[in-house]
Amino acid sequence: MKISQAQDDKLFEYMDGGLKGIEKENFEQLLKTTPALQARLEELRKLDAELRTIKLEQPSKNFTQRVMSKLDQYPVRSNFSFRNGIILLAGVLVAVGIGSLLVAGGVFDGTNTIDLNQTIVPVNKYIEKPIPTFNIDGKLMVNIIILLNLALAFLVLDRAILKPWFERRRMSV
Amino acid sequence: MTNEYSLIDQILAGEQHLYTELVNRYKSYAFTIAHKILENRPEAEEAAQDAFIKAYHHLKSFNRESKFSTWLYRIAFNTAISYKRKRKASFQSIENVIVEYEPGEDSLERTDKKLFINQAMSKLNETDRLALNLFYLQEFSLEEIADITGMQANTVKVRVHRARQRLADELKSVLQKEALTL
Repeated sequence: MKISQAQDDKLFEYMDGGLKGIEKENFEQLLKTTPALQARLEELRKLDAELRTIKLEQPSKNFTQRVMSKLDQYPVRSNFSFRNGIILLAGVLVAVGIGSLLVAGGVFDGTNTIDLNQTIVPVNKYIEKPIPTFNIDGKLMVNIIILLNLALAFLVLDRAILKPWFERRRMSV
Repeated sequence: MTNEYSLIDQILAGEQHLYTELVNRYKSYAFTIAHKILENRPEAEEAAQDAFIKAYHHLKSFNRESKFSTWLYRIAFNTAISYKRKRKASFQSIENVIVEYEPGEDSLERTDKKLFINQAMSKLNETDRLALNLFYLQEFSLEEIADITGMQANTVKVRVHRARQRLADELKSVLQKEALTL
């Protein structure tokens, strides 16, 4: 006869002293008439007896000494508070938002040319060869800045918010 | 408990050396918890020490709603779990776990049984294994085991139950195999 999950559960309850009164009597009656249940109970009792020999384990003799010597070596925690982290993250996100809006509005469209020959020193007067001119794509530059800000936002979210939050959760019971 | 709280107050006030008392009081349990999860003595020792150091540095955040020991054991549990996660390089298949056991003065039959049980236990997941061990150390209520492992008391009860079932079945099949080879 195969023992069902429910019967197995009952056997554990019986073994742990969880069955009381009539329920216990009824189960004992069932046990007497079911050899398969008796055999299973015997198996579980053997296991239980073995498990009861589990002992507390002892660490090394210098355990306490080692803990005490390492107490001051614990890495210094950042003074950056959870609140400051949220404020910084909000600031970075606002900057990203404003930047994106301006880019979307076309404020940085077009390419600007910086002619160093005119802005810094006149050619032929002080220098012989003209200095090369630079083309600056405003939209590309702002997009790069936005991306860098997003990376910074992820970093702030991880270091100043998520890590301290999980740390707090782990320390609270 | 009051005595323990006043000890904690003194430590918080700067008397660091008094922490020795707490370490001595709870080191065996913290180490046992770490060892049941990591199944490696040196690593368990390191994790348990780390747990005590973390607890010391977070002592201010201990809210005294639970026992200090429960709070500490939860830190030990979480530390051991994160050690286990970090141990990717030296990953071992659960089938190849080398089970440590001390033969001591037991009879051969008893030692064999212990070995089989240890083998079967190493096949359980770490939380079930720890819950089962804490249950059989008989020092912890189901509620305390739940607090340490971050589960509901009822879940702990069911998992201890199922873990024992699996162990019983495992033991039965191992013993049957042994009998067939004789």
